Amino acid sequence: MSESEMVFSFLTKLNALTGGLFLLCAFGLVGIRQMLTCLRIYVFQALLLAVSAVILGYYHASIHLFVVAALTIVTKVFIIPWVLRQAVGYESYAKREISQVLNIPTSLLISIAITIFAYYIAGPLLAANGAGAFEKVNLPIGMASLLIGAYTVTVRGEAVPQLLGILAMENGAFFAGISIASNLPLIAELAAAFYVLITVLVIGLLAMRIHTVIAKTAVGEMMALREE
Amino acid sequence: MELLYILIISLLAAALSLLPVGKRFAPGVTILGSLAVFLLSLRTALATAAGGEITAIADYLACDSFSALILLLVAFVGLTAAIFSWGYIATTVGETDDRKIRRYYSRFNLFLLSMLAVPIFSQLALVWIAVEMTTLLSVFLVSFESTPQALEAAWKYAVLTCMGASLALIGILLLRWGMGPSPNVAFTWAGLLAASPQMPPALLYTAFLFILIGFGTKAGLVPMHTWLPDAHSQAPSPICAILSGIETTAVLYCIMRLLPMFQGGAAADIGKWFIIFGLISAGVASFLLIQAKDYKRLFAFSTVEHMGIIMVAAGLGGYAAHFGAMMQIVSHTVTKSLCFFAAGATLMATGTRNIGAIRGLIRISPLAGTFLMVGGLGIAGAPPFAVFLSEFSILKAGIMNGQYLVIGLLAFFIAVAFFGIMLQINRMVFGRPEIILMDESALQFARSTAPKHYILPLACIIALLATVIPVILFGVYLPEQLYQLLHQAAASLGRV
Amino acid sequence: MINKIIFNLIQVIVVMAFAPLIKGILARLKENVQSKRGPSIFQPYRDIWKLFHKDEVISEHSSWIFRLTPFVVFITPIFVALLIPVLTDYPLFFAFMGDMLGGGFILALGGFFATLAAIDTGNPYGPMGSSRTRMVGFLAEPVFMIVFFTVSFIAGSTIPYIVQKYWVTPLANFFEPAHILMLLAFLMLVIAETGRIPVDNPSGHFELAMIDESKGLEYSGRGAALMKWGGSMKFFVLCCIFLNVLVAPWGLAHGTELWQVLLAVPLILIKISIFVLVLVAIESSLAKLRLFRITEFLGAAFVTSVAAMIIGLFFM
Repeated sequence: MSESEMVFSFLTKLNALTGGLFLLCAFGLVGIRQMLTCLRIYVFQALLLAVSAVILGYYHASIHLFVVAALTIVTKVFIIPWVLRQAVGYESYAKREISQVLNIPTSLLISIAITIFAYYIAGPLLAANGAGAFEKVNLPIGMASLLIGAYTVTVRGEAVPQLLGILAMENGAFFAGISIASNLPLIAELAAAFYVLITVLVIGLLAMRIHTVIAKTAVGEMMALREE
Repeated sequence: MELLYILIISLLAAALSLLPVGKRFAPGVTILGSLAVFLLSLRTALATAAGGEITAIADYLACDSFSALILLLVAFVGLTAAIFSWGYIATTVGETDDRKIRRYYSRFNLFLLSMLAVPIFSQLALVWIAVEMTTLLSVFLVSFESTPQALEAAWKYAVLTCMGASLALIGILLLRWGMGPSPNVAFTWAGLLAASPQMPPALLYTAFLFILIGFGTKAGLVPMHTWLPDAHSQAPSPICAILSGIETTAVLYCIMRLLPMFQGGAAADIGKWFIIFGLISAGVASFLLIQAKDYKRLFAFSTVEHMGIIMVAAGLGGYAAHFGAMMQIVSHTVTKSLCFFAAGATLMATGTRNIGAIRGLIRISPLAGTFLMVGGLGIAGAPPFAVFLSEFSILKAGIMNGQYLVIGLLAFFIAVAFFGIMLQINRMVFGRPEIILMDESALQFARSTAPKHYILPLACIIALLATVIPVILFGVYLPEQLYQLLHQAAASLGRV
Repeated sequence: MINKIIFNLIQVIVVMAFAPLIKGILARLKENVQSKRGPSIFQPYRDIWKLFHKDEVISEHSSWIFRLTPFVVFITPIFVALLIPVLTDYPLFFAFMGDMLGGGFILALGGFFATLAAIDTGNPYGPMGSSRTRMVGFLAEPVFMIVFFTVSFIAGSTIPYIVQKYWVTPLANFFEPAHILMLLAFLMLVIAETGRIPVDNPSGHFELAMIDESKGLEYSGRGAALMKWGGSMKFFVLCCIFLNVLVAPWGLAHGTELWQVLLAVPLILIKISIFVLVLVAIESSLAKLRLFRITEFLGAAFVTSVAAMIIGLFFM
């Protein structure tokens, strides 16, 4: 085995490991009750996204992906937790446990079903588009994280976990994106990083407003508007 | 360069309207800005009516006939909503709270900016960001009144549409993947269309489904519509007009732009998805209309129904149906904004959003009553108005295609919706003038008051008149340039 | 041949001799973390010694199962020690008798008898502990299955000696996502199976909250000594399976000389001590879960193992 092949094999395995842990983080966001732990898991997931971007960037020798990694770390590891702490700090510290519509073991089983579904839809795409070793990991795992995030948003009745679900979806989309669409123009990447920040800011501020007006953030219990 | 100016002007207007100089400054700047934007959009639309494309920055800012049509509609609704806001916001917020008014106008302008960016951007990733910005920048407009209901609506709106956004994002990234690894490919609508024959069909199909579900959430397609009636009924009326009239359509535009990428059998498959989602939306919404207790909610459901009709028309395929879809887009936008302006006027005159609480609106405020009646008739699809013409052409195109079942169902749903809307509007507009107030403790209608005669602010009347003109005009006569624009846009939906 | 038999016996002796020591180290370290002095690390030996010299009391209402169980609990880890790599990274004389599944079944047999014996005497706490152990067991079973299937799928075998080599040849295999995730899942299983925090509190003395301990409450004298010794050997053996087979064969003797095998003994003890440190860190930073939250803990283990399986299947 030549040296470049060795490096390639090592990088793919490392990337796959990052992917596995990334998926585990998505499971964690569904299965963990403590709000603060959820926040930490989200940050860790973002860090894994950056790690994967660095691995891919090293392999493709693309400055671009390094920029993505740097942006991810700056926005998601530092700014977003800080913003959340400012906007909804009270909620994430004072209220420790999150209520959930379906219980956690059921949710975890559903997440597994979702993961298998993600592999099921990603399979034909990988086959059709001649995917390499990196896409094979990143696309299905990104999709799984995306769909699990959507599930998290639906079952969790609290403002911050719902927001974290949305962010996990977005992380998933990017995790797939760095492998399948690594050549987007830089302006799009910058705009996307900016967009994530605005999302957190807007939804965080809205959660704070909701908290000041109705004195809780159990958004799942808001039932004023519905069909009779 | 018009395209660039449009974006710069609305950005400037947003910044200027934050300046604390006088009460009239912020609305004045907003109206002037949106007027300039409207004129520039009109110019763009006229330039593209003959076909071809206007490019400001290659691969980033460009407009063809379809996007120019959407741009024009955005600018039109933006202008009228800005005028209507002058009267509406001054009345509801009260002249005293200057800061709140300034905040409203700067958010309004930013929201308009993001709406304008959707058709102007041609780079898909940026289009996606623009679509998401429309959500994020309008969240605080939806929650503007800060009632628990408004906050709930804003929350649902933000969370559900952001979920949709991520789904659509992965669809867009998949499309980029399908275009190959070369960094030199232009990831624009046109570039995508050119590259689509080489893409694996499975990839296109999956990407399309992700985008349909993702953007469909924002366009209010059933079953992802649950946030729409809430957000579209809780926002201030001028914002409702933009949200309902054009935001949904602009998102639908992004979905419809994918249509020409599919050929032959694939096109028929994709058409089926359009028709299925369209029929479900139209059907569910037309029945939900009947039980609406809030007239802004009534119009919001009607938006879902109309999105369904446009989807069906786009899915039927063929030039005639596509032309019908384009006409439906135009007529729905102008009529729906009229409806929401009229609803805003009614709210100002009566102070309640409850349908059951209002009788004899035409005597309380003749203008509000008249416009509500016209808007109701118009959106339900009564003959002399624009929606009638477009719905008729869609039904006709469908029958020509031989899709009797689809058309039969669609016609039935339209009839149900007509019945539902007219029943409610009639009850409100005619009869002995009274406003029946809710007894909050017993939750039933209790004492009634004999309301005073109400005179609408001048700005509102101007906005209502400006919107009612196209509603009536397009029902009987389509200007030549507009016809050309619609023709080009419809042609661009088919495979060239 | 003779060498291999001797080495095999050395393995058994090492397990028997050092199992209480590991327990002692674990208990001592835990106390130290809580800034207490803690018992000597040789305390388990003294306990066992003391128990052997005490009289045994056996309820007259109990059956032969109660009397047999201490021997079963004592013998089963010894059998497993014959099969698995404790000191060497090549198969020894008795290794042909079973693979990893076989080892799992033998260990389960000991657990099964302990459960029956707890019910046998009619002590109210025994059946409660038994039913709880069974609950944990039922939830842990699917995880065990999936971990073994994943391992056998990836490494292409269920023979521990083949599996352990796979992870390090080449070294990149160690970083395979399936491997790391599976390790996480198995770590959670070891915690659940050996009754550590957060599933069970081994140093708790409150019968109502006990899971594992309450099964041995009725034993005294020799029986209690055997149960205690057997329990620590089971822990030792599980650690060996986890560290030598599933993590990596580092530290195991490669050559066939006696000194190489003897050198492996301290290396293995160091390896297990490091693992004990990890366990102490986990036990000290988590609180014991409420009984019905254990499903969530094992649910997490299940999800991790399934993730390992999915990624393993599709990454190949």
